[in-house]
Amino acid sequence: MKNKAQYNTFDAIVVGSGISGGWAAKELTEGGLKTLVLERGHDVEHIKDYTTAFKHPWEFKYRSHLTNKELEERPIQSGHCDAGNKHFFVKDSDHPYVQVNPFKWIRGYQVGGRSLTWGRQCYRFSDLDFEANKKDGHGIDWPIRYEDLAKWYDYVEDYVGISGRSESIPHLPDSVFLPPIPMNAIEQHLQKQVSKSYSDRVIINGRVANLTTPKKGRGPCQYRNLCSRGCPFSAYFSSNSSTLLDAHETGNLTLRPNSIVKKVIYDDEDEKAVGVIIIDTITKEEISYYAKVIFLNASTIATAAILLNSVSSTFPNGLGNSSLQIGHNLMDHVVNEGSYGTYDGLKDKYYEGKSPGTIYIPRFQNVNKGTKTAKFIRGFGIQGKGERENWQTKPTAGFGVSLKEQLGTPGKWKISLGGRGEVLPSYENKVTLDLNKVDQWGLPLVKVDFKYGPNELAMMEDMTKASEEMLTKAGFKNVGSYRNVPSPGSAVHEMGTARMGHNPENSVLNKHNQMHDVNNIFITDGSCMTSSGCQNPSLTYMALTARACQFALKQYFSDKS
Amino acid sequence: MNRRKAIGGILGLAGVSFVPVLGAKYFIGNSSHKNEALEEQVELIAELVDVIIPSTKSPGAKESMVHDYIINYMEECASRKEYKNFLNGLNDLQEDSVISFNSVFEKCSKTHKIQLLENLEDSSNYTGLLLKINNKLRGRSFFNMLKTLTIEGYCTSSNGATKHLAYLAVPGRYKAVTKLNVNQKAWATK
Repeated sequence: MKNKAQYNTFDAIVVGSGISGGWAAKELTEGGLKTLVLERGHDVEHIKDYTTAFKHPWEFKYRSHLTNKELEERPIQSGHCDAGNKHFFVKDSDHPYVQVNPFKWIRGYQVGGRSLTWGRQCYRFSDLDFEANKKDGHGIDWPIRYEDLAKWYDYVEDYVGISGRSESIPHLPDSVFLPPIPMNAIEQHLQKQVSKSYSDRVIINGRVANLTTPKKGRGPCQYRNLCSRGCPFSAYFSSNSSTLLDAHETGNLTLRPNSIVKKVIYDDEDEKAVGVIIIDTITKEEISYYAKVIFLNASTIATAAILLNSVSSTFPNGLGNSSLQIGHNLMDHVVNEGSYGTYDGLKDKYYEGKSPGTIYIPRFQNVNKGTKTAKFIRGFGIQGKGERENWQTKPTAGFGVSLKEQLGTPGKWKISLGGRGEVLPSYENKVTLDLNKVDQWGLPLVKVDFKYGPNELAMMEDMTKASEEMLTKAGFKNVGSYRNVPSPGSAVHEMGTARMGHNPENSVLNKHNQMHDVNNIFITDGSCMTSSGCQNPSLTYMALTARACQFALKQYFSDKS
Repeated sequence: MNRRKAIGGILGLAGVSFVPVLGAKYFIGNSSHKNEALEEQVELIAELVDVIIPSTKSPGAKESMVHDYIINYMEECASRKEYKNFLNGLNDLQEDSVISFNSVFEKCSKTHKIQLLENLEDSSNYTGLLLKINNKLRGRSFFNMLKTLTIEGYCTSSNGATKHLAYLAVPGRYKAVTKLNVNQKAWATK
């Protein structure tokens, strides 16, 4: 007969079921490991639990609005959700954290995590990014280069399904592509005009994880642009639609929702992690689970918090924290609030269907000698979307029959542009634990202390200026920008709190995403990032995860033999 | 006797109950403002949305029950300031109606209804910075909210979206560039 500990013993434990946890689950189970995936939130079964996916606008009592009560419960998340997808975002009131300076921590506590609601934009990093720290001295050098990751990008892209077009841009390498989502009339217009006016930049089809052709029984996209409610056609990539299903198929997956990881258990004598202690959010019971390999994929801020809370006599400052870097070097992407303009021409053109994609202007600053700017180091890319104004955006006059007629016809063409810029790694930007405050589970609250520096602010100003200039040169009118105060966190690209590096003295993970201090712990969520690039980062997390899993599997089986 | 009470008297005589808006009788909560004050005005709101978006070849806002949506929104989504402005706005409009035409709005002729709304539109006609300042200090004006919510409620109603606009729940394909046909309707959703 097995004792309790044996029932609770697996080959591997993966903490978190979001975009990187899902990949770890798939790779480890397919590699033959009995794997326990722990998710702090509730279960979300693919398709069945997408409760709003087919709702029409009129089936929402308050249309897209959140009620005052819902807003009060979600002072942070409410800026990122609406009535159609609010159930995939946490109630801040249930899950408080401390902000030393304003930092939006957008969270989805459920199976699939934020892979259900992500923006689906996928861009590879290049050596412009991997070499940046070494060249300008901010942060530490990445222990890997593009060639280490290239085949892993290929591998995950072939599985995920990314629509896009090959462009042969050296600093934004092409992915394995499905056919691109085409540009509409105004997007093509801007593309042409920008190519005429500028030699340093181009507009390309956004690269998104939406299936333009079917893949492995998923998709194709039905062009509803309601992705963040969950896709009943499985037409965009999420853990729920893809990796977790395949992990389940192997027979090696045990998925345990409602399980908050309190700490990782470290054996001071064996010098290894042996398991984790969870709190069952329903029974409130504490339970220990054991495994030989542990992957932490709880998301950047949460992974740092788990490590900092995992103190032992060997690691009084948090597990694997001999470098004292855990929680530090928090980065996000700096975003401006967006620029826009309207266009008087192309009145005889329209579109049918709703694109879930965007256009993209790859980074065009500090890429080579010709594009050097004195204003800031590194750079930003710009996402954009064109459409004709409708009742939501069209300015209308008066009321009565004339108003009704104005509402019934398409308005002017409009384009919106929004930048995403690289944030420099800084020791001062950090996640710590506030030991004086606890949440409903008795765990110390996470404290986020983050501020943009002068480089980020200069970049933010420039992305607005550059966007307005491009629109003006392309003949747009009413060009303007939303100039709000900077709001760190709002890119939902937080990363960097357990960085990779060559040297155990100033980094947490080695080039295999393995902890320098504890060789059976791997971290492949955003926390591993040594620099932030300006590309949407999920694709890189996925490639790093697949790569680290292969290494972990080799180590597992060689230890065994 | 203040003006509002006096008008209340006239309305009382006309057989319409007048509610002292901010009296102790109705507690306005910070998150939910649900109470009878607004629901009692449902007919007035229905007449207002009917003037803003009347029925033509396609159904209008009243037949699309947009007044119900506005009440839902005001009760559960509006700020306290907006709720007050809205309720006061309804009462002021009713006052104007009685003073100008000796009749409650619901019973006014179509011409009079339009005239009353035009007066209201003129009086809330801030633009640009002035509008922003006014919205910030006093909350959105009654007319502004009434028009915005009527447009939203109508264009997202089944009637508005499928009969006045073009609604495709599952487009199935994306044709990025099409020729806009004569009289082609705008898409209901983005």
